[in-house]
Amino acid sequence: MDLIIRDKIKQVKKGDQTAYEDVVMFFQDKIFQHCYRMLGNKHEAEDIAQEAFIRAYVNIHSYDENRKFSTWLYRIATNLTIDRIRKRKPDYYLDAEVKGTDGLDMYSQLATNDRLPEEEVQGMELQNQIESEILSLPPKYRSIIMLRYLEEFSLQEISDILDIPLGTVKTRIHRGREALRKKLRHV
Amino acid sequence: MNCDKEAVKLMHQHLDGDLTKEEEMQLKIHLEGCDSCQKHFHELKRSITLLKSVEQVKAPENFTKDIMQKLPTEKKQVKYMR
Repeated sequence: MDLIIRDKIKQVKKGDQTAYEDVVMFFQDKIFQHCYRMLGNKHEAEDIAQEAFIRAYVNIHSYDENRKFSTWLYRIATNLTIDRIRKRKPDYYLDAEVKGTDGLDMYSQLATNDRLPEEEVQGMELQNQIESEILSLPPKYRSIIMLRYLEEFSLQEISDILDIPLGTVKTRIHRGREALRKKLRHV
Repeated sequence: MNCDKEAVKLMHQHLDGDLTKEEEMQLKIHLEGCDSCQKHFHELKRSITLLKSVEQVKAPENFTKDIMQKLPTEKKQVKYMR
């Protein structure tokens, strides 16, 4: 598949717009799912996923063919989702890093299992519960956890996608898993 | 072995496939004798299983088509790229 994509990208670079259709078709579910898991809202996910594909197209000449196209595309999509999360007003406060905590933000300071009674919807399905716990992870952990366990990228690939050192990816995936463990242990 | 620091660290390294054979053995021996670490390890693995069980979502219908219609034509591209 990588070879076919590589070929298509070459055609796109030469100005063949229709070749891009196959590229979008191939990645649409993956990128949409990634945006949806990051944002938790289908309309926003559609919006951002579309923007990611359009940006990739517009900037295709800056894509280095020696690297994997998927890595480059996921980077664009992840950056856009994180931008979108930051721009949401109420969450802005929650996303702000707390000084001296090395990336922990207000989300991580919130009690994990204290739900308001009215939020404790009876019979809430396990799926929904897991989804909402994923969404309550700080975005910088959420992106890594998603890339690793839902998209099945290697830690090295995640380091390339997010443009952060491998060591940082490892620290964050450890913390992300711990956060998730605390959230899901009573599920 | 210190549970909170060493054992938990080994668990995560195990999950990332970063342990040497000796370290795997150290972790295994520790887990056999320590209930709370065993529970911790089980919870970690279970949370990953739960995570992976979330439903796969698909892009909306016409997603690709919509994008193809929104792609800039040659002239607009200049404006898009600034």
